[in-house]
Amino acid sequence: MSHLLTDEPGSRILLMGNEAIARGALEAGVNVAAGYPGTPSSEIIETLSKVARDRGLYVEWSANEKVAMEVAAAASFAGLRSLCVMKQNGVNVGSDFLLHLGLTGTRGGMVLVPCDDPGALSSINEGESRQFARLLELPLLEPGDFQELKDMIVWAFQLSEEIRNLVFVRSVTRLSHASGNVVLGPLPGETRKARFKHRGFILDEMEGVVASMPMEYRHRRQQEKLKQAVERFESSPFNTYTGPEHPELVVITSSACHLYSREAIHLLGVEDRVGLLKLGTTFPLPPVFMEKHLGLTDRFLVVEEVIPFLEENVKILAQELAPRIGPKTIMGKRDGRLPTVGELNPDLVVEALASLVEVPYESAPEAYVKRGQELMFFGAPNRELTFCPGCPHRASFWSIHNALELDGRDGFVCGDIGCYTLAVLPTGFSTLKTLHAMGSGTGVASGFGKLGRFGMDQPVVSVCGDSTFFHAAMPALINAIHHGSDITMVVLDNSGTAMTGFQPHPGLDVDALGHKAPAISIEDVCRSLGAQVRVCDPFDLETTQATLLELLDRAGVKVLILRQICGLSPEKKRHKKYEVAVNPEVCLGEACGCNRLCTRIFRCPGLIWDKRAGKARVDEVLGTGCGVFASICAKGAIEKVENREVTG
Amino acid sequence: MRIFGPNELKADVQDKGLCVGCGACVNLCPYFKNHQGKTVMLFPCTLEKGRCHAYCPKTEVDYTELSQARWKRPYDASPLGTHDGVVMARAGEGRVEGRVQAGGTVSALTAFALREGMIEEAVLTNREGLVPVPQMVGDETGIYGCATSKYTAAPTLSEVNRAAREGIRNVGVVATPCQATALALMRENPLDREDFVDPVSLVIGLFCTWALDTRKLIPFLESRVDVSRIQWMDIPPPPAEVFVLDLGNEEIQIPLDEIRALVPRGCLLCPDMTSEWADVSVGVLEGEPEWNTLIVRTEKGRALVDKAVEAGSIVVKEMPAANLEHLRTAALNKKKRAVARAREENLLNNTDEGERAAFRMDPSVVEELTGS
Repeated sequence: MSHLLTDEPGSRILLMGNEAIARGALEAGVNVAAGYPGTPSSEIIETLSKVARDRGLYVEWSANEKVAMEVAAAASFAGLRSLCVMKQNGVNVGSDFLLHLGLTGTRGGMVLVPCDDPGALSSINEGESRQFARLLELPLLEPGDFQELKDMIVWAFQLSEEIRNLVFVRSVTRLSHASGNVVLGPLPGETRKARFKHRGFILDEMEGVVASMPMEYRHRRQQEKLKQAVERFESSPFNTYTGPEHPELVVITSSACHLYSREAIHLLGVEDRVGLLKLGTTFPLPPVFMEKHLGLTDRFLVVEEVIPFLEENVKILAQELAPRIGPKTIMGKRDGRLPTVGELNPDLVVEALASLVEVPYESAPEAYVKRGQELMFFGAPNRELTFCPGCPHRASFWSIHNALELDGRDGFVCGDIGCYTLAVLPTGFSTLKTLHAMGSGTGVASGFGKLGRFGMDQPVVSVCGDSTFFHAAMPALINAIHHGSDITMVVLDNSGTAMTGFQPHPGLDVDALGHKAPAISIEDVCRSLGAQVRVCDPFDLETTQATLLELLDRAGVKVLILRQICGLSPEKKRHKKYEVAVNPEVCLGEACGCNRLCTRIFRCPGLIWDKRAGKARVDEVLGTGCGVFASICAKGAIEKVENREVTG
Repeated sequence: MRIFGPNELKADVQDKGLCVGCGACVNLCPYFKNHQGKTVMLFPCTLEKGRCHAYCPKTEVDYTELSQARWKRPYDASPLGTHDGVVMARAGEGRVEGRVQAGGTVSALTAFALREGMIEEAVLTNREGLVPVPQMVGDETGIYGCATSKYTAAPTLSEVNRAAREGIRNVGVVATPCQATALALMRENPLDREDFVDPVSLVIGLFCTWALDTRKLIPFLESRVDVSRIQWMDIPPPPAEVFVLDLGNEEIQIPLDEIRALVPRGCLLCPDMTSEWADVSVGVLEGEPEWNTLIVRTEKGRALVDKAVEAGSIVVKEMPAANLEHLRTAALNKKKRAVARAREENLLNNTDEGERAAFRMDPSVVEELTGS
């Protein structure tokens, strides 16, 4: 049995942040959970799917975040408790639905957990989901430690059912992906029965029509609900003050920054001078609670990630309260004391705080920092981001790059988010030239493909992953076909949502619960839409390149599906299709005219340049036996032999 | 010769639009490839000196040095280059199969050389649709399969490089002037490589005023005719001034002025009309559509022609003086145009630091060609 189902209230166990969130949902009696994979959020749905059978849950990886929200909302409309999970970008995808949901309200408790990624540790942006709470007028909670990750979820479900609306609980990478001790609560025994009641009076929020009309009435109701939430926030156990009765300065903080702030105060030894106001209910701020604490002193430092969301809200409240509490100096990001991009860390907070409390502090001796910089510059080997050994994307982009170069019309590739995003870098031969949201590669390409009348004669290629195809690329493809755009769409089908950990998607024959599910064929979808479709194995470089060249020459929408399972997939790991080796008799090394094409340009980590021998050599540990090297070496020095025992 | 690397080659030839896609840089390494008549560099290469640059007929060709090496005499402005005789020629009666251009001398000579064992393989130019493709053939049927002019710049020499790499020797090549120039450069082993072996034993040069860019010709023709019907193309000698397309049941004539827009810029810098670096050179003959002009240049070329005449593979007769004079004028005019253009584009005899030339000639020769 999963440790997540430990039914010993009061016992303390070590949980990863995302597991704590999942446990919170279980303690709240969640019935339905839906999400779309994305770091740092993925483990929440994964964890719940593992206990789904035991706890009688329905869990799904939805086609995209908007659908996930809709699926979770349906459960709520039927009186169940539902959880919806995604990374920061996902809220943007679903926000259209949320704008309506805020007006219609919810019935069973519904909690949305966006996991933000300050510093974009696993993202290509650090967009903030907190802004959506203000934009959509929905309450926002921000857990500050692992215990709160669990407890706030339980509390959020109660709140959602009290106000009959969606509640945001925002996590960040440093909480979701770290682990800490969590004291467990009880797991509920009963499960709810689903029933969608729709025959009541139109304005009946529990039994009427779920619609945003009449708008003014609904909007007013939504704002009343938000006020109701604020009343509950006034006495929330998640807003705490620690520090002296008469502090010189108070640090106002939330989320993971609460931990940095505590550490900073401790490092400076100013516990008796500086107070710490840790807020868990950050939108809307509870005015009575805030008045009390803004009255403690005149100077405040707001510590948060990423942009000054909390700071601005505190400032608005301070302005409103000024007649009673007097003018306050609220510092943070808007005055440049703390950066407005990237993650914070204890050093950055200490630095900002030290100058305010006039305590000299050196996070590291200057000579040490200097030496570190020198070593980093001169001593550390240059390690670029790279595709894994045996990654089909490297082979795919090799062919795409070469086909575009051979075509010679200055063609380019529009891309989006996935492992293949790395193709903006040399590991993908710098082939990607535009990079935006999920599915945007094909949408942008659809636009480029219509510019022929303005003299644009460059071939336009888009790439998307198999999961992305279902997530957001299909409408773009339809648009391109309908409008007669000239594009070649390459679906990099590695048979799973690989980047986030092989979660299933609609193209696979299994769902999040491990049940057999109808797989939707990408080629059938594309064909039925009217695209010219071809399927190739990207490891067959010659055929892939020839096919691409043929498609680039044709007008209209062409789809090339490059299908080869991810090298890290459980099916493929530890199975080498080929034994691959460099024949030192044939490899001429530096003397060859190839100028080390294999290790200088192709650069799969599975192949290394043996400096002593002056020749290439296969790294037997890293090499995955995909056999592509054999096609890279023009000299034929890299030989492959099929591994019979594995394939036979 | 000033020899640089692939980066200079790309900057001076490809990026300036001077590449004619002869294929001299293709198949030496994994970087240069030709696709549908266009040569591209797939990835950056850091070599400071490369055969790709050394073999290229469009950059840093030092005609003085090349002439000394090949002919043991300086390069002068003589219109037809070094030669040992000019005659009218055509294939012997019943000696060619299928369609040939003009007198069929090239096909007949190539077939004869193969039959006599003077060469073991012939590198020729075939076409797939309108795209010229190099082809190595080892029998007469193969030769006639490649007969007739293509008029498009072709990467024929990529096949010579492949042959060299694969250890194939004793190859005959039918080459345009740029290709014959590249072959002459290649055969000097300019990088002094120890593993160098000359795979070429015979070069049959073609006359050429200019070629056409395949990538431009295809859409040009597609907009006028159903290109799948094209069976044969011809540019009859002056004063015709037309490009003729034989569609089987009809013939279409396109004024040459329209066609000239499809000439690669690199052709305009070529001072060679008669493939001066070949063993023998063959072209059309004004006023005699069933005959060719044949220039013999080397001992090997002389032996080939004499034996072929003796065997009846080709028939030769004396060249009328007026025709010879016209040929000399046309060849000299091409030299003058090329030198004037190279000078105008600052691509002639550059010596300044960082500046490179398309070709180099002795200043006295330049003066002779540009003087009134």
